[in-house]
Amino acid sequence: MPTWVKRMSDTLPKLWLERVRRYRGSDKVAVRQKDFGIWQSFTWDEEYQQVRDFALGLSALGMQRGNRVAVVGDNDREYLWAALGIMAAGGTVVGLFTDVGPKEVAYVVSHSDATFVLAGDQEQVDKLLEVQPQLPLVKRVIYWDNRGMWHYQDQWLIEFGDVQGSWNPAEGDPDRLFEAMIEKGQAHEPAMFCYTSGTTGQPKGVALCHRNFIEVVKATGEVDPRHDTDNYLSFIPLAWIGGAALDIAPHAIDGAILNFAESPETVRENIREIGPDLVLYNSRLWETLVATIRARMLDSSWLNRRLYDLFLPIGYRVADLMLQRKPIPVLLHLAYWLGGRMVFKPLLSQIGLHRARDAYTAGSALSPDVLRFFSALGLPLRQIYGSTELTGGTLMHRRDALNYASVGEPIPGARASISPTGEILLSGPGLFLGYHKDPEETEACLYEDEQGVLWFRTGDAGHIDQQGQLIYLDRVKDMIELASGDRYSPQFIEGRLKFSPFISHALTVGDTSNDYVTAIVTVDFENVGRWAEKHGIPYTTLTDLSQKREVYELIRQDVEEVNRTLPASGRIHKFVLLHKEFDADEGEMTRTRKLRRRFLHDRYGMVIDLLYSDRQQLEIDDVVQYQDGREGRIRTTLHVESMVNEPAHP
Amino acid sequence: MSGPTPRDQSTPQQNQAMLDLDPALARQASGVHLSVQQAGLSFGGIRALQDVSFDVQRGEILALIGPNGAGKTSLLNCINGFYRLDHGRIGFEGLDITELPAHQIPIRGIARTFQSPALYSGLTTLENLMAARHIHMRSGMLDCLVYWGLAHREDIRHREAVEEIIDFLEIEAIRKAVVGTLPHGLRKRVELGRALAMEPRLLLLDEPMTGMNVEEKEDMARFILDVHELKGTSIMLIEHDMGLVMDIADRVVVLDFGVKIAEGAPDEIRDDPQVISAYLGEAHE
Repeated sequence: MPTWVKRMSDTLPKLWLERVRRYRGSDKVAVRQKDFGIWQSFTWDEEYQQVRDFALGLSALGMQRGNRVAVVGDNDREYLWAALGIMAAGGTVVGLFTDVGPKEVAYVVSHSDATFVLAGDQEQVDKLLEVQPQLPLVKRVIYWDNRGMWHYQDQWLIEFGDVQGSWNPAEGDPDRLFEAMIEKGQAHEPAMFCYTSGTTGQPKGVALCHRNFIEVVKATGEVDPRHDTDNYLSFIPLAWIGGAALDIAPHAIDGAILNFAESPETVRENIREIGPDLVLYNSRLWETLVATIRARMLDSSWLNRRLYDLFLPIGYRVADLMLQRKPIPVLLHLAYWLGGRMVFKPLLSQIGLHRARDAYTAGSALSPDVLRFFSALGLPLRQIYGSTELTGGTLMHRRDALNYASVGEPIPGARASISPTGEILLSGPGLFLGYHKDPEETEACLYEDEQGVLWFRTGDAGHIDQQGQLIYLDRVKDMIELASGDRYSPQFIEGRLKFSPFISHALTVGDTSNDYVTAIVTVDFENVGRWAEKHGIPYTTLTDLSQKREVYELIRQDVEEVNRTLPASGRIHKFVLLHKEFDADEGEMTRTRKLRRRFLHDRYGMVIDLLYSDRQQLEIDDVVQYQDGREGRIRTTLHVESMVNEPAHP
Repeated sequence: MSGPTPRDQSTPQQNQAMLDLDPALARQASGVHLSVQQAGLSFGGIRALQDVSFDVQRGEILALIGPNGAGKTSLLNCINGFYRLDHGRIGFEGLDITELPAHQIPIRGIARTFQSPALYSGLTTLENLMAARHIHMRSGMLDCLVYWGLAHREDIRHREAVEEIIDFLEIEAIRKAVVGTLPHGLRKRVELGRALAMEPRLLLLDEPMTGMNVEEKEDMARFILDVHELKGTSIMLIEHDMGLVMDIADRVVVLDFGVKIAEGAPDEIRDDPQVISAYLGEAHE
């Protein structure tokens, strides 16, 4: 048994109470929130009193141990204190996203049998008032931001502070009563329900117990140690497992300082002021940040731009060496240190990441460009992969094993494996208690192996490479089956190919009538053209350029790179460089630049036939339509590049 | 602009005397907050306002509607002292303010916003709001030079008041943004904030929702209602969006070519044939 499993009776409130006792009497900050333009600090003693009064008040109003309490509101100190108070009183926190409509609020609140609801502000309270008749179990709705509700008369509503004032001081010493409540808690009791929006049907309530959170936070802490001096900016929705596992749980367990933004719109500004020690952004946000930095540099002074142009290539060289785990020459190291001082740190401080020790990305795959860029700035991004059913992150990149293609390796105590159908299975201490009131769904997503280990079926397809890194491909249902029964992900392959600056689009081919995967690739005329000029390769048009021997060699390297991340059965065997680019005007793509697969399959049937024949080339006589409606003719010869006949990749 | 010249050169003292004589103005001590009586205004041959009379009750939201050129903005300009009436009277809280100079009006408790925001575009949101607090500031030049003590304390007090408005209008994110760089919708919100910073008892809003998208309009409507509900401020607003007017106004006054053609609750106004032909009819054709 791992050393970090201390006591099986531990709960989040018990560990939180240990923190409170440790910091009692000190001015150590537990929570900060910006209000009226000033960061207001709250010590652990103040937090203790807030949580205690709320827990006692809630019990006085009729909350029982084992009750569920739903919370819908923006991240706020009151949210945190309410969540801790609910758990301390033996209840379960049911998180709801702030943007859901009244119907879904009604569904989740009644499905979870919640007896109280916390609704942050007027917007949320109004939703509940709208569906009040459907919620007979809900005793009171508690709000903490009263703006706009000065004249609300409904007795169903009660303000946060009034809940805290509801307990009877005559019943005894409040501290003793409160701590006795906490003592009754058990590790296996559900701490939170996280409702996940299923792709079909109603959302499912993922029940997670105290032990889930405690063990996952401790295991993550073994990979990346946490300190009670760490500052987090809490802005990921607390209803999402990411918010619960990265904000509330580490606060209670490790004593991390939670900072709450002034308003959802000021998060970017507030991040700069706080400079968090740890950040988790989705891939989309990281991409936006690169664009922001590049745009800011263009607007910067002449000197700044020169320094940036001077040091960024040095940053890239260091990043590449680190990725290949090669030693960095002393002089380069020195130059990089200087660049960090003069350019990179100030740049990162612009987006509030100058103090970030750990930076994670979650969600869809991030392009290597973005990862390389932040590595060059000295902020290596690491992927986290997991699911709500495993209390969030189950796999993550280690600091010394960065890898652009994978989603990392399991945290201590957790395991990942691949089912015979190619589905990713996860197991570990974060494995949930089940879906609330849905044993069939719970049964369906669990799998017990011969050793009696329970695995969660993620519905994701992937494979594990030789280094033990998990590579995520696609949702299982979006995989395409080959004649052999093996499956591959068109989106994954095409997406990865497009990461190459030389490839504008790619269409993978291959289904149950074929034995292997092939691809039709279109080259990026501008970038390949520039490359050709630099290498002294003469060309006239895109048609001419695309069929050059050297260009095939260039693209071949990119294809090899992608093949390396794929299981052998799903690799690209052959590809063709198309004589033109896919064009929305010809109906080959949608206006949002998504490929029209069926249309392309019909239109390039001859090319596809070529890819699955023994022939090496094909005469093309194609009609192209120009934007003004005129038609032109292209006559050329397409070549096939085979990836298998050549001395292959490792 | 060659504004109309005041016909009556009486002083505030004389106004005070007149108050005792005029029973209509005296009524204001009870329910009437602002009273406009037989207001008339001409620009050369154009008669912008002809004998317009109506009251704004204490704590109500009164909408002033009418086609372009009906004289709505002119009337607002008369109330806050930009224009002088040719004849007629304007009383506010039992006091005749017809002849008061424009800078005196906010001190009496009337603040306004403009059709196109009139802010210090080179200053930040915060600075614009702080500037509006000047009517409540007491420290003199000497205090400010020394700063320590009175001026310092006063600065903190006013900053607090301004921060409450920033919180109220949810403009925290643009607190330090230069107003000139802000989009139109936000500028309008800042302007409302500036008017609120004067702590008015009557708020004049000149088309607070022009040029806004649906969402911004709804936000603005909510802020107006919140101000009204929380502070009990009387509000007189000009607005073209009939849907919004019908939603938020307690009463509506309709002007057409400088003449008041109707006054009443939104529902009555909607069904008034004269209003329909003059205004609503046009919009619904």
